[in-house]
Amino acid sequence: MTQGKLILSETGRMIFAAVIALAVALVIILLSSKTPLETFQTFLTGPLSSKRTVGTWIDDASKLALAGLAFSLVFQARQFALGVQGQVYIGGLLASTIALSPLGLSWISIPLGAIAAMLGGALLGFIPGYAKAKLNANEIVSSLMLNYIAYDFTAMMLRLYLASPKSGLTASDPFPPTAVYPAFIARTRMDLGLVLALVTVVVVWFLLYRTAWGLKLRLTGHNARFAAYSGIRSNFIMVSAMTVSGAIGGLLGALFVQGTGFAKLAAGFEAGLSFEGILIAIVARNRPLAIPFVALGYGYLRQGAALMGYRTDVPAEVIGIVQGIVILLVASSFTLPGRALLNRIMGGRSAAEAS
Amino acid sequence: MTLILEARGIDKTYPGGVHANQNIDLSVTAGTVHAVVGENGAGKSTLMKILFGVEQPNAGEILLDGKPIVLHSPRAAIAAGIGMVFQHFSLVPSFTVAENVVLGVEPRSGLKLDRKRAAETVQALAERFRLPVDVESPVERLPVGQQQRVEILKALYREARVLILDEPTAVLAPQEVVELFAAIRSLTEQGRTILFIAHKLPEVLEISDRISVMRAGKMVGEVAASEATEKSLARMMVGRDVALKVERAHKGPHEHFCRIAGLTVKNDRGLDAIKDMDLVLRTGEIVGIAAVEGNGQSELFDALGGLRPIEGGSVELGGIDVTDLSVEEKRDAGLAHIPEDRIATGSAGGATIAENIVATELGDTRFVRRGLLDGKAIRDHAVELIAKFSVRAPGPDAAIGTLSGGNMQKVVVARELSAKPRMLLVSHPTRGVDLGATEFIWQRLAEARDGGASILLTSADLSELLALADRMIVLYRGRIVAAFANTADLTPEVLGSYMLGFAAQGHEELKAALA
Ligand SMILES: Nc1ncnc2c1ncn2[C@@H]1O[C@H](COP(=O)(O)OP(=O)(O)O)[C@@H](O)[C@H]1O
Ligand SMILES: [Mg+2]
Repeated sequence: MTQGKLILSETGRMIFAAVIALAVALVIILLSSKTPLETFQTFLTGPLSSKRTVGTWIDDASKLALAGLAFSLVFQARQFALGVQGQVYIGGLLASTIALSPLGLSWISIPLGAIAAMLGGALLGFIPGYAKAKLNANEIVSSLMLNYIAYDFTAMMLRLYLASPKSGLTASDPFPPTAVYPAFIARTRMDLGLVLALVTVVVVWFLLYRTAWGLKLRLTGHNARFAAYSGIRSNFIMVSAMTVSGAIGGLLGALFVQGTGFAKLAAGFEAGLSFEGILIAIVARNRPLAIPFVALGYGYLRQGAALMGYRTDVPAEVIGIVQGIVILLVASSFTLPGRALLNRIMGGRSAAEAS
Repeated sequence: MTLILEARGIDKTYPGGVHANQNIDLSVTAGTVHAVVGENGAGKSTLMKILFGVEQPNAGEILLDGKPIVLHSPRAAIAAGIGMVFQHFSLVPSFTVAENVVLGVEPRSGLKLDRKRAAETVQALAERFRLPVDVESPVERLPVGQQQRVEILKALYREARVLILDEPTAVLAPQEVVELFAAIRSLTEQGRTILFIAHKLPEVLEISDRISVMRAGKMVGEVAASEATEKSLARMMVGRDVALKVERAHKGPHEHFCRIAGLTVKNDRGLDAIKDMDLVLRTGEIVGIAAVEGNGQSELFDALGGLRPIEGGSVELGGIDVTDLSVEEKRDAGLAHIPEDRIATGSAGGATIAENIVATELGDTRFVRRGLLDGKAIRDHAVELIAKFSVRAPGPDAAIGTLSGGNMQKVVVARELSAKPRMLLVSHPTRGVDLGATEFIWQRLAEARDGGASILLTSADLSELLALADRMIVLYRGRIVAAFANTADLTPEVLGSYMLGFAAQGHEELKAALA
């Protein structure tokens, strides 16, 4: 299959997943809404209804893309580290510390915040990698445990040092404006975070496909035994992949707290978004250049569902079901029976494609 | 001379689009051994599966005793008196031989399996057809050759008149082949018919009455074994002349290059797979290792290649002690490795051909500078090797996993030889590779040898070892039990008796031969 054909068929697969997801959402809405057509319309067009909602969509998509990049990097090395959430919290905590310090009164707090967040995230990514390399500790377990530790540590630091009494100890004071990402369009959440996310896409793509490190990482992911046989130090690759992924997770933390959406450190600020990066990575098949598109598409559905939750009688939880269906569909296309099933469902269409 | 089984105009296209059988005719005479030969992928197994009801043809008909018959399933084939032994056995490892043989059609006393009667019946069957086997032993304790007998007994117990054997000799040591052939002869003497699939020609010529040749899904001819030669069959199989012969190394003052001393390697269960091995390889020679599967050769190659720890002893390459070096450092010292499993070890199936080729050269400034890949140089290098090794591939960016076995193996061989190794580990270089590519790979190995490389070679195919090696050693249970110069009088039978542990050279004799 040529590169072009591959992109076509992969795009087709994603569109197919989206169509199925929408169909499922429609069925749920039909079953549960008194005004199904309006509800469905809100779901479909809500994100475009105002400048503000567009901004929120784009901002969510940037964050989803970063989470997706962090996961895709470890997934490409066939490591199942799930520590992005913890990295986000630690990254957010460190960026907040800088923003709330005297440094926050200068624009320097923006790059410094990002760097501190990335270093913290990298450390958190490194730990499960090192534990696996040295102690053969399962990275799924250790990274998930680290998520708890990072979450609780952040909550504790917030309560002890950073929270403002006004917020009932659940959030810090707002950051000074100099420590908040500048917005491109006033009163929207479209800010510097978008640029950072796009830059990260390019950097990850470059690392994976243009450097020897990236090739080693991908070869290790394809076949670890082959990598060892070729003389690739796969332990080093594994640990470094998790570390770099951790840095991206940390950066996402800075994006959260220093972005216009929050501009402060709030308890539980990440609200589970990190784990949705798994879906983004899976649907994008861990391809960095596909990730922004998947993040935009999925971010749109997510935003539509949220608006539907506010504005109509159908709860936003519909998105959870849609999410599950998309994961099942895409993930099942990794297995042979799943592929056969998909082919059968898509039979007519792909035959038309071939001719 | 009555025909027992006929196929007429059989056509089979797999769902993936592979046209595996194209208008195949085949006539098998009762009481004969009829061989079907062809290169890997010629469609032999497909035809046999159709005759056994495992696959359904898209067109054509099957006649048994001159009457058309439809074989919906293996069950129907068995009922009609057709039996088949597949390349992969389907025995229950923990059951005894007798239990496996009667499984599904057990003699019963009431509701219970009549164990005694089962054992007696199977014993009688085994004696009648010269297939000696311990009927009370669990199948998992038997060597492969005997497991195969159990499969044959299974078919005979179900009263197969036509027995299909798909590449039965591929898994056997030479002595076991002799025994299998004895059993086949006793079967035909008692009126049974054997359909024998193979791609090794000498044994086909030895055992068959008639030989049908398939190539690329078509039946290209049928000859009497008495009128065929290896050469004529090879030409029919490949479609051109093939010379499966390589020149021996020139004798000369070759110096010692690789020195293995006191080497001990453990297997996955922590037991000694290689015990205290001493071996010296000279430059410009091929040393063949003959051993029945599981006698330590895999572990030896893994350990030398750096994929398995060395427990004791040392390995020197050109005076450098490489025992404890990393794979990367070993490769830098001139080591290359064509591994026994090109898919599990020798390639990353999802990566491109170019990426697979450059994988072992990521320290080379031709391809990587300051950590950055030189994409053009990498692709050019791959294109060059693809052309030089006539790999049939869409291009350097195709995933290596999409290539056929032979072409994938050529890529592995190309990569390993392109490093101009001084020491080359080669395991089963042509397993599952067709005749044309085999010839090609052999020639490249001989070239590397003439260029001064020391080559350690192992293969399940003794004729391959005998064709390539300058010296031969036999490994039995992790020890060298015999060593020979590979002269014309060294035969598979001689090697076989050492491989099966029936004989061992004395200490002095060994030492002299290894020096
Ligand atoms: N189940 C299958 N599905 C699709 N293709 C198959 C299947 N089995 C065999 N083939 C293809 O059919 C061709 C003939 O295979 P086979 O009959 O196994 O050849 P042989 O036994 O002569 O080596 C090969 O190209 C092989 O890849
Ligand atoms: Mg076959």
